[in-house]
Amino acid sequence: MIEFELNGQPVVFNGASDTPLLWAIRDHFKLKGSKFGCGAGLCGACTMHVDSTAMRTCVLPVAAVAGKRITTIEGLSDDGLHPLQAAWVEHNVPQCGYCQSGQIMSAAALLSSNPRATTDDIDQALAGNICRCGCYPRIKEAILSVAALSYDATIEETSA
Amino acid sequence: MSIRNVSRRRFLKLGATAGGGLIIGVNLPGCSFSGALPIEQESDGFIPHAFLQITPDNQVIFYCPSDEMGQGVRTGLATIIGEELDFHPQNMLVKAAGLHKDYANPEFGVQATGGSNAVRVFWGPLRQAGADTRALLLNAAAQDLGVSASELTTDNGYVIVGGDRFPYGDFVTTAAQLAMPIETPLKSNASFRYIGKEFSRVDALAKSTGAAEFGIDADIPGMVYAVVVRAPVAGARVLSVDKTAAEAMPGVVAIVPVSSGIAVVANAYWRAKNASQALKISWENIPLGQISSAQVRTDFEAALAEGDTVEASNQGELAAGFDAASNTLEADYFAPFLAHTPLEPMNATLHISDNSAELWTGVQSIQGAQGLVERLTGLPRSNIRVNNLYLGGGFGRRGTLTHIVEVTEIAMAIDKPVQLLWSREDDIQNGLYRPASLMRIKAGVTTDGTVSAWDVQRAGGNITSNTLTNMLPALLPGLPSSLLNGLSGFAEYLFSQWTVDPSSVEGLHETYDFENHRIVHATVDHGLPLTFWRSVGHSYTAFAVESMIDELANRAGMDPVSLRLANTQNKPRMQGVLQTAQAAMKSMTVPDGHHLGIAAHSSFATDVAEIAEVSIENGEIRVHKVTCVADVGTAINPDIVRAQLEGAVMFGLTATLYGRIDLDQGKVKQSNFHDYPILRMDRAPAVDVILVDSGGDPTGIGEPGVPPIAPAVANAVFKATGQRLRELPLKLA
Repeated sequence: MIEFELNGQPVVFNGASDTPLLWAIRDHFKLKGSKFGCGAGLCGACTMHVDSTAMRTCVLPVAAVAGKRITTIEGLSDDGLHPLQAAWVEHNVPQCGYCQSGQIMSAAALLSSNPRATTDDIDQALAGNICRCGCYPRIKEAILSVAALSYDATIEETSA
Repeated sequence: MSIRNVSRRRFLKLGATAGGGLIIGVNLPGCSFSGALPIEQESDGFIPHAFLQITPDNQVIFYCPSDEMGQGVRTGLATIIGEELDFHPQNMLVKAAGLHKDYANPEFGVQATGGSNAVRVFWGPLRQAGADTRALLLNAAAQDLGVSASELTTDNGYVIVGGDRFPYGDFVTTAAQLAMPIETPLKSNASFRYIGKEFSRVDALAKSTGAAEFGIDADIPGMVYAVVVRAPVAGARVLSVDKTAAEAMPGVVAIVPVSSGIAVVANAYWRAKNASQALKISWENIPLGQISSAQVRTDFEAALAEGDTVEASNQGELAAGFDAASNTLEADYFAPFLAHTPLEPMNATLHISDNSAELWTGVQSIQGAQGLVERLTGLPRSNIRVNNLYLGGGFGRRGTLTHIVEVTEIAMAIDKPVQLLWSREDDIQNGLYRPASLMRIKAGVTTDGTVSAWDVQRAGGNITSNTLTNMLPALLPGLPSSLLNGLSGFAEYLFSQWTVDPSSVEGLHETYDFENHRIVHATVDHGLPLTFWRSVGHSYTAFAVESMIDELANRAGMDPVSLRLANTQNKPRMQGVLQTAQAAMKSMTVPDGHHLGIAAHSSFATDVAEIAEVSIENGEIRVHKVTCVADVGTAINPDIVRAQLEGAVMFGLTATLYGRIDLDQGKVKQSNFHDYPILRMDRAPAVDVILVDSGGDPTGIGEPGVPPIAPAVANAVFKATGQRLRELPLKLA
């Protein structure tokens, strides 16, 4: 029996403790937004936040997250769209869409620790997320647009 | 050893589409679905035809006949019908169509998606359907309002009379009583209000929140999970299996033999996966088990040396063309097998109960999926429902439905709904592949830059034999296997040595005038399953053709764009693209140490030129920027067109820089993204798309951006290093 917090709610998982977190979330808790792409931590489609850090959950045993806070794409924003999600729509980012939950979760973790991320920061933080459709230029633009908002907000605060 | 002597020569020419690829050019008997439309009627909803439903509260539902795999087809087709209906596509509810003959792809004759043709072939029918429906609504409004229809206009879902606006939904009850007008005049291009405009895809929001439902997301109460262990050498059958250890593993429900191997069914995916690794299976030895990668190219070369070829195209006087040439070159170009690796691995969920079945999946042919379930279960066609959800990438891979065969065999053996999931290793090692190809080009160019002789030989496998083997049982579910085998045998007899699979040689000359040319083909089939791969034959032919054009320009001391312009005099659209590309190149500021390479190619009725800006850093090829110039005719949504071309550049760059499937004693060596790498964010170039609008009807956008990128990069690498790289993926000496 493994207890953790899932999108703000305490939950209990009774299955095999070596089950990767991804399958516990998808098949036990029925949250299907996080995806299976490689099963080896190589593509990033399964990315969730574990205590605010972006992790590849297809290789993370559920036993390792006991007592931790898990956030999935479904719990990213409890108040409408996260600014990144709005930017994704605005920049027409998704094609097939399968990797996008993972891309957004990696980007959200980046911006929460580094709100004014640069192109190089994005290259580094998102290099673990494969997009087979090749939406990379739009993903980058969308993240930069949100980083720019944060930058503008800082300027306004400073000048106010 | 070589297996050329036992190579299979069964390739049935199905016919070529305008843009390449394969079609089944007839409506196959016994596979039309002409019963009631598979539409759930909303309360008092009006269903004028298969594509639309309009409710009294003015909700317009569009049933999209093509499968959404990222190409933007739901938005594109909704825009086309919405333009003539006068209803903004973003306000529509767009649903995947169920199975019915009215949704058949007009060019394929079956309900399937591929060949970058959806917008092109539905352009006419959907505009007409939208215009006729709008005319019908106007007739109904005229009757209800007691005015003449000629006094009415529309504005985005509203009928306008004088200063009053009435939603379309007000008139659906009356509309349902009236005859549908036919051949309503269509709008002029100048009056388009949605076509040619940019707005977000209709699926952008669902795909940004995790809400979009893919095949893998199907979740049926009580379902169990299956994985299949397949032959490490494709096509080998199980000789024996020791399932003792696997059966004893926790959660295992059943172990089921299927036609492709052994299925392990458990109460969780993870448990099925773990138990599958405990199976001990002995496989038969087959000829493919003797083949390793080096042998593949050797066999191709031997076939060309023997001259055992079939002619695909022959025009003009080749000998005279070589006599007229001032420079003659000959070179071999090679491209390897490739996997598709859509990010969503193959999967299907099937529930068979009593006298019916329901399938959830994401495939490029809903009709094929239904046909396979029908063939294997023997259930009546009308009792089989297929839910085609979003496809997590297609690229041609989801046109082959062996996973539907597997899930049906498993579901028939156990009395529970079952979800089958392939692993990434299954996907890379047990899939179908882009054929490896050897292309030998001998070409002559005159002093004025005319390519006066173009002599090409291609050796490799054909996709058609596998395509037929997989498609016919699916599309002709009523035909017994014995008859299918007879059909395959007849096709083999009829076509062996007499014709060339068009997809094997497409793109080897068509971009250019080449008045004196000959294209010949040697089939060398090692038995690895082959299929469509985004841009099909063009994915390798463009590399050979465009590298050779660059070599000729270099030899003749000509500018490579000028040489292309000189040899496309009869291709006005490509001329426009090349002139735009030339102007773009002249205005570029190229940093020190960076070099430009260009390539151009026509495929799927679209003309594309790509300019790659490349440098060499620490012995590695770095692509910094790609300028993509394309004429796609009328761009339905230019932003989606740009997105497809950007994505095609990335897809092509993976093949240019990394992609190769190698065989070791018949087994695929690569297994996951560590040894079959995909281009990542930190190596993705900026892409600048320039659309040249020649004003014609829309042409393909999903595939045509792929072919030019490999030769564009190779040509830039030549400029940077003097090394002419004639094998993919590109590797510096």
